[in-house]
Amino acid sequence: MKILVADDSRVMRQIVIRTLRQAGYTGHEVIEAENGREGLEKVHAEAPDLVLSDWNMPEMTGIDFLAALRSSGSTVPFGFVTSEGSADMRARASAGGALFLIAKPFTPEAFDEVLAPVLKH
Amino acid sequence: MSAVVAEPSLTDVEMVVEEVWSSFLGAEDPLMIGPPSELQVGWSAAVTVSGEWHGMVSVELPTAMAEQVTRRMLCLDDDGQPAPDEDVADAVGELVNMIGGGVKSLMPGPSALSLPVVAAGRVARPSDVTEVCRFDASWAGSPLVVSVHVQSRTS
Repeated sequence: MKILVADDSRVMRQIVIRTLRQAGYTGHEVIEAENGREGLEKVHAEAPDLVLSDWNMPEMTGIDFLAALRSSGSTVPFGFVTSEGSADMRARASAGGALFLIAKPFTPEAFDEVLAPVLKH
Repeated sequence: MSAVVAEPSLTDVEMVVEEVWSSFLGAEDPLMIGPPSELQVGWSAAVTVSGEWHGMVSVELPTAMAEQVTRRMLCLDDDGQPAPDEDVADAVGELVNMIGGGVKSLMPGPSALSLPVVAAGRVARPSDVTEVCRFDASWAGSPLVVSVHVQSRTS
């Protein structure tokens, strides 16, 4: 499967990719985007099977990225990986069509808990 | 202005920082709390929260620690070479982003978290803010400070 990781921090993209591996999700192809706008282009160009996206990003935020995907007809499974873990943000994520929200900082166990239903080990 | 004037407790900030450290940095070297110190600021970063609660969360680190944080977050070996500034700025910014996000989640909402501002040296703070919380700690023998500022009460 192909996973798109969208975060404006290269350091955080590396941590997300490493945590996927630590959670047992190996052998998947990972592609990266630096913001929502680039993420949107890559979803349309490369058709990933899952999107893991930060919330606060320049150019296009994660929630706008999700809204743009859904309004373009894309139903790609989408989850947030963000420092925004408040109840308000979780409600907005869910209302926008996100499957889950992983709050930073996170553990491999937190990844596995939400990814098990959508991704094979 | 109807924003709530609330302050995170030192225990709140300590809990948030420790969670960030233990998740991404502290497996081998745990974060040690206190004592207050006059650290030589090499890198600093800040995020602001605006909405129902207004505040600024900042982190200040000596250069060597900022580089160590960067290497640890990127899983790089310490080859004796300084980490590139671009990576250090990214890592320190992400550190304050996570800490600021944690503090925001403990304060009245809804509010918005800014993108981090990172500086080599000390981030300049607006003149109308007051420090309401300061968390001193050390990691791998070096000090760091996490502080929370809110707008001074003028009325």
